[in-house]
This record gives sequence, structure tokens and C-alpha cells, in this order.
Amino acid sequence: MTRRIIGQALMGIIIAVMIIVPFFVQDEQWVNLVSLILIWALFAIGFDLVFGVTGMLSFGHAALFGAGGYALTILTLSYGVGFIPGLFAAAIVGAVLAYLMGLFALRVSGLFFALLTLALAQMMYILASNKLRAITGGLDGIPGVPRPDLFGINFYDNHNYYGFIVAVFLIGLALMALLRGSPFGRALRAVQANDVRAAQLGYNVHSLRQSAFIVSGAYAGVAGALLASLIFYISPQMLHWSTSGDVLIMTVLGGKGTLLGPILGVALFELLKEELSQITQYWYGILGLVFIFATIFLRNGIAGMFQGDQDEGDMQ
Amino acid sequence: MKRRNFLRSAGALTLASTLPAPMVLRAATPEDYHIAGILSFSGAYGLIGNDMRKGAELAVAMRGGELLGKKVRFSWEDDETKPQPAVQKASRLLAEGTQLMFGAVSSASTLALQSLSTQRKVPHLVTISADDSITKMDGARYSFRTSNTLAMEMNMCVEFVKKRGIKRVYAVTADYQATRSAFDDFAAKAKAAGVEIVGNDFAPLGNRDFSVIIDKMARSDADGILVVATGNDGVTFCKQAGQVGMGQNKVLFGPVLQDEIFAAATGEAALGVNSGVRYHFSLDNPANAEFVTAYRDANGDYPSAFAGEAFDGLRWWMDVIEATDSWDVETWVDAFETSVYENSVEGRKEMRACDHQAKQVGLWGEVVKGEAPLPDLTMKITEEFSANSLFSDC
Amino acid sequence: MSIIVIGLSLSFLLFLLAAGLTLIFGMLGVINFAHGALYMLGAFVGYQIVHMTGSFWLGLLFAPLIVACVGALIEILALKQVYDRDHIFQLLLTFGFILVIDDATKMIWGFDYKQVPTPEIFMAPISMFGSQIPSYRLFVIGFGAAVSLALFLLLDRSKWGMIIRAASSDPEMAQTLGVNVNRVRTGVFALGAYLAALGGVVSAPLVPIELGMGFSVIIDCFVVVIIGGLGNIRGAILASLLLGMTRAAGYTYATEWVELLTFALLIGTLMFRPAGLFSTKGRSA
Repeated sequence: MTRRIIGQALMGIIIAVMIIVPFFVQDEQWVNLVSLILIWALFAIGFDLVFGVTGMLSFGHAALFGAGGYALTILTLSYGVGFIPGLFAAAIVGAVLAYLMGLFALRVSGLFFALLTLALAQMMYILASNKLRAITGGLDGIPGVPRPDLFGINFYDNHNYYGFIVAVFLIGLALMALLRGSPFGRALRAVQANDVRAAQLGYNVHSLRQSAFIVSGAYAGVAGALLASLIFYISPQMLHWSTSGDVLIMTVLGGKGTLLGPILGVALFELLKEELSQITQYWYGILGLVFIFATIFLRNGIAGMFQGDQDEGDMQ
Repeated sequence: MKRRNFLRSAGALTLASTLPAPMVLRAATPEDYHIAGILSFSGAYGLIGNDMRKGAELAVAMRGGELLGKKVRFSWEDDETKPQPAVQKASRLLAEGTQLMFGAVSSASTLALQSLSTQRKVPHLVTISADDSITKMDGARYSFRTSNTLAMEMNMCVEFVKKRGIKRVYAVTADYQATRSAFDDFAAKAKAAGVEIVGNDFAPLGNRDFSVIIDKMARSDADGILVVATGNDGVTFCKQAGQVGMGQNKVLFGPVLQDEIFAAATGEAALGVNSGVRYHFSLDNPANAEFVTAYRDANGDYPSAFAGEAFDGLRWWMDVIEATDSWDVETWVDAFETSVYENSVEGRKEMRACDHQAKQVGLWGEVVKGEAPLPDLTMKITEEFSANSLFSDC
Repeated sequence: MSIIVIGLSLSFLLFLLAAGLTLIFGMLGVINFAHGALYMLGAFVGYQIVHMTGSFWLGLLFAPLIVACVGALIEILALKQVYDRDHIFQLLLTFGFILVIDDATKMIWGFDYKQVPTPEIFMAPISMFGSQIPSYRLFVIGFGAAVSLALFLLLDRSKWGMIIRAASSDPEMAQTLGVNVNRVRTGVFALGAYLAALGGVVSAPLVPIELGMGFSVIIDCFVVVIIGGLGNIRGAILASLLLGMTRAAGYTYATEWVELLTFALLIGTLMFRPAGLFSTKGRSA
């Protein structure tokens, strides 16, 4: 038990240091890298509520992520909505889309759920890159996604925007911590552990899964919006199935079912990518090898390493 | 190790968050001229990125590696043909202080870099992406394209149809906004010239099987087959059309349907296919002769259109910068906007201030068998359309 | 009429692409994301052999064998380590191998496009029903049909098939009966890789050989496998026929809707018969 607590604390410290450092370092490279990490981490935290906590492998999160980005972009650029309302709208659009996808996908479970979410998301990718081109800009996407306009601060300066991202990230992290500790969170774990038993205990398994998926959609939507704004640009690439694959890899690397693990997973993924790509053009292959080794030898990802548990949290 | 040097500025929290970093970097004369090359170095477009890099590096090497008395330094980054890594890596390089962004390959990444360039006021040079929306009227101030646009390539197709006396065209168009509008444009102009469009199918981008469409074409009375799709899709189409011998009684043509690289991927089926050509090593002018010799010495191969366009665009940019004798970005942009490049490997190029698109001649060619040292299948330049016939006025 | 012939050729090509994925899923319960990468590797190795020997047939014979060895190595070195865990870990491993195989291919063959010419005897098209049908397409139909028949006989009618099925449905029981389950699993994965590469070599005269080719087929393969009923060879054959014919009709009447048509078929299947249209088991979810 003490080992667990120490491990948790260590992870917390590492993440805190990672977040604080960019405030003190002028070098913009760090700011950019950590901005990206925090945005993807927000995405991964939300993803893990469905994957790690509730035990459903979704391959459709790319669609939720992209939908949030498009919501912010279209509302701010075409309808003159402010950034903050746009960000809320992104959360809502992510949640609503998750609800709609759930109407189809939650009829099945296990691998079928993974494949059905993959198919639904990939269909949305095709729609966004093709048939909805009048709204989405098609494959070319939409350039010029704005940044917040608040308190007279120039958020087009990456240092300032970083502060904004940190604020959103911390709010998201805190809410998720509360949620996971709440009776709702415990009910979700019960569903993961044994859905038949959970149903016998009086839990409404379907609506629990649905709620987890909706909350996760809101997180993905916000993260997608922040990313579009960070890079001033959105394209259907965000909805491509490889985006779902990326967030899955990050979450598993970090340790699914843990609150802080996925954040470290994202950090490791982005850091490796960043460092390796400067050394060799075969960085993707090396990343693949690292990932393979981690999958075989680190059952519960980085979080498992810190907490010293190698068995708990494994899915059925 | 630079990035890990946290301690350097400990306590500078407030300072760091209020200083507009790019402004500071721009104030002084930098220690070198830094070019951020953001291209595809992996996946299907990796080949293009590598060739562009060779062309760009040669442009610098041929001027002794220096510009404005400073060393020219390249940073090459792989954008994985996706916008997010493109912007991410470009942002990192911009933070180091960059004088020019060069790239990307795909139009989506290029448009993403363009937003960044506008935002950060850093010049941006495009030598491959052909999407018309990259050079819009009164568009991005810091972005320039020295290579072809899809619109001008479609105009070449119209000119070719007229010249060749093709009467009935059946088209296949990649289902993508740029190619769709390119086809509409072609259809309107072709009809005005008395050419009948007997059919058009929109095939999904990345389509791998054209057999049904090819069958429809073969059964039609069309004498011309227009393919508004490039890269893999164009190669796949030509390969599969070759298996029914379509080239025997119909002329296959398209905006950038074939070049030496695509022909090598297509095989014998490429013979007789007509295509717009961005640049070709066989062009007869002194600038090109010098470039081709140097390129062959350095790489042992003839330069592809990607290498040629990269070389040409970058050398033009550097010639103009050198002439300004200034480190002021606005001066560079003002000078390039109105510059005329007499010494282009394609003859003459003229930058248009209204949309930052280079006005230039259009090359057209046909795939023929080549004798060593040429590749087995090579383009023979058959037409050179004048710039005025391809570009409408600003 | 010609649309039926072309539809058949689309169908059997789809089947050849998806057969290995179906086999591995059906027998090992593993969704092999690296299937597309192995398909690409097959095409590249095939190119290399054709390039060196000048014979397409040697490529068709040997390239899949080489890729099957790669598959066996992947199974022994990596997948074997995680059979006792959730299926998701196997999926993740194969995901990692996409990256490794892609980069290894890039390292060996570089960026250039490669091409394999149509075999000499299938160069000329054949006139049928008022259309010129490429004779290579007819070969694809015949070859695909032969492979599907062979697989069917192997898995459903032969002693080996019985051993494989026993090892997959109850590994412990099979082990006690003297079946070396480990070796069977390796064999099945290698066979799946063999089939992926076979699809690659057969496709080689039809498409450019390039680094993105694996990525572009994997979704199609999933569609066939899902519609056919996960892991069901007979289902995969029928699903390929359904999808190939639907596409042939789609390309004829509404080309730009072909992709969405495919997905509509897929999503409909998953919603109403998640175990696949051609599964005999019914709903298993």
C-alpha cells in the first residue's frame, strides 16, 4: 500500500515538474512540446474513462476529438462565437456525438464494440473529407483557427496560450479525479470487473456505459478544440483511425485504468517521437520496438512500474 | 541538450510569459540563414520529400553555402504528410529563429504551414503543392508558390485537347475538392471549344480498383481519357487501363499523370500517356544545363520534377534576398512579390503580387522509351504552352 | 454481364487480401493489425524476386514463404508472450509491428515506387460480353477460387484443420491429447502471414508498390472479416462476393458513393448481426 502511495506521489511530482518547467524556460520548444502533451493527455484521460475504467475498447475516439475541433473552428470562424463559448460547444458536440455513436455501438460489446466504433469513426472521416466539404473544408481542412481572446492577454504568444492550456488541463484532471472517486466511478469499475454481476447488484449497466462514453466524448471534444487552436488549423486527419490508435498506444504505455498513467504515456510517446525524429529517419520503427517491449514487459505501463503492481488492473 | 537547460532562466516566469519571443529573435542579425524544411520523409510521399531536399541543398551548395554573407543552415523535418506534425515541427524550428519555411508536400500540410507563416510573419516557400487555394487573391502575405497550380495544369489539358483534335472526353476525377473544381473548370472550357464530355466518374481518393470505370470508358466512344488524379491513383489507373490496352485507341492524359517516377511505377502501360510536366531535365537552356550537370554529379541521377522545382524556387528566393542586402523580412517579401526570374531552369518566371503565384510557361509531355543514360521510360516534352494562355489576369 | 465478371474479380481479390486476417482471427482470436504491413512486405519481396529472376511465378511461389517466416518470428518472439492476457494486448503488439515492418521496408527498398509487370501470358485482354476483360483479372478469379477452396478443405475437411480447430477452441484439452498447441499457433500465424503476402504478390501487377499500400487495404480487410463473421472462412468468401458485387454495381451507377456504401453495409451488419451476416452462430455479443 505504501509503495502505491509513493508511486502515485512520484508520478504526480514528475507531471507537476513537467507542467511547471515551461513557465521558467524561455526556450519555446519546451512550451510547444508540453502544450501538445497536455492536450493529448486531456484526450487520453477521457479515453481511459471508457477504456481503462469501464473496460470498453473504443476505436472511434478520433471522431469525437475531431468533432470538437471542428465545432470550435466553425463556430468561431463562421458564426462569430467567442472562444470560450466555442470551447464549451466543443465539449457538448463531443458529448452529443458520443451519445449518438453510443446509440449504435453500445448495442454490442467487446471486440464488436471496438470494430463498430472504428467503422463509425472512419465513416465520419470519409464524410468530413468528402461529402461535408462545404462545412469542413474537405481534406484541405480549415486554416486560421483562432485562440482565446481574454483579459487582453495575447494568446497568440505560445507562452500565454500554454498558461491557458494548463488551466483547462488542471480543471479537466481535477474533475476526472472527483468522478473516478465518486460512486459513479466505482459503479463503472464494477461494470468492468463483471458486468453480469453489476447488473445483478442493481446497476443499470447500459446507462453507466453510455454515461462514461458521453463524458469521455466531452473530454475528447475539448482536447480536439485546444489542438486545433494550438496549431491554427484543422483537417479530417484528426478523425482518421490512426488518431484513435495513437491515443490507445499512449494510454497503454502509461498504464490504463490509472489517473496519472495515461499522462505519462502521452509524455513518453511525444518525447520519444520528438527526440528520435531528430536522430534518425527510422524513428517510427524504433518507437514501434519500444512500444512492443513495453507491451510485453510492462503489464500496467509506466504507472505499473511506479506502483510496483504487475497484475492488478488487467482486463478480463 | 539545449532544451534541457532548465536552470538558465529559473525565476523568469513572468518575463517568459510576457515577452513576445519571435519579436526578440528578429531584432538582431542572426548567426546564420536558417531554412526550416518541412516535408514528407516517410510513407507514400517520402520519395518526394527526399528529392526536394536534394534539389534545395544543391541550390544552396551552388552559391557556396552562403546568403547575405552568412552560412545557410537547413533543418529537415518529416511531417508524416499530416498537418499536426507539420505545424508542431515548424513551431519548434521557428522558436530557434527561422528565416524561411520550405514545404510541405501535401496541400493540407502546406495550408497548415501557411496559417503559421501568416501568424508568425515568417516567409513561406511552396514548390510542389498544387491546390489552387494556396495562392488566393490577396491571400497570405508571407507565402509564395513558384511551382504550377492545378488550374494552370487544367488549362494545359484544354490546350492539349484542342491541339490534338480530341472530340469526346471521358474523365475520371479524384473525389477531392481541388480536383472536382479542376474538372468543372476543364469541362466548361472544353465545351466552349466544342469538345463533348461523354462521361465523368468521381472515384474515391486512394481508389485501388478502376476496372469498372475503365470498362465504362472502353465501351464509350470517347477518344480522350482525362485522369484528374495524381500520385498513386493516377499510376493505378494507368496500370489497370494498360491491361485492357486502352491506350491503343484512346489518348490518356491528365494534369500531372506521369513523369519518370510515376512511369517507373506504372511500367510499359505508361507508354503514350500524355501529361502536364512541372519541370523536366531535358529543357534546353543554360540555367538548366548547369543545374542538371551539377545534380548528376552530386546524386548520379537526373533530377525529378520535385527536385527541379525545389531547386528553382529556392534559388530564385535566395537571389532576390541577396539583392535586397537586408535582414528585414518585410523588405524580402516586398522584393520577391514583384520579382521576375529570367534565369529559371524553366526559362522565365514572374511573381504575381496579387496572389503570390509564379506566372510561368506550361510544359507538356508524353511517355516514351528512353535509351541509357535516360531512364527506361522517360517524358518527351512535346508542347510548351505560353504563360498567357494558362493564366488569367489578376 | 461483364459487370459480373469484373465484380467476381473484385470479390476474389478482396478475399485474397482478407483471408489471412480471417484465419488468424478465427483460430487465434487475434486481430492482426499488421496484416496490411505483411501484405506490403509480400509485394516488395515479390517485386525483388521478379526483378532478379524475371519470373512472376517464382515471386508468387517464394515471396509468401519468406513472409511466412517473418510471421512465425513475430508470433514466437512477441505474441507468444501475451496469450495469457487480454486479447487487446495482442492487438497492441501487432500495431507496434506495423511501425517496425514499415520502417524495415523503407530501410531495405528505399522510397522509390516499384512495379511488377503483368505476367506475359496475361498481357492481352479477352473479349467477353462486349467488354475487354483483362486476362489477369480472370487469373485472379481462378486463383482466388482455388485458394478459397484449398483453405476450406484444409480447415474444414483435413486432419490438420481438426487439430487447428481443437487447439483454438480448447487449448488445454488439445494439449493433453498430445497436440503441440504452441507449434500450432505459430503455424497458423505463419499461414496468415503467408496469405497476406500472397495477396500482396497477386495485387502487385494491379497497383503501384509503395510504402503506403498496406495502410490502404487494412480497412477493406476488416470489412470483409466483420461482414463474413469474425474468423469464418466460408463467411469471408461470401462477404467478399457480397462486397465485390456491391462495389462493382456502385462503381457502375454511383461511383462517388462506393466508399460510403461499403461502410453502410458494414455498420448495418454490426448492428443487426454483429456476429456477421454469414455466421452460423448468430449473435454472440
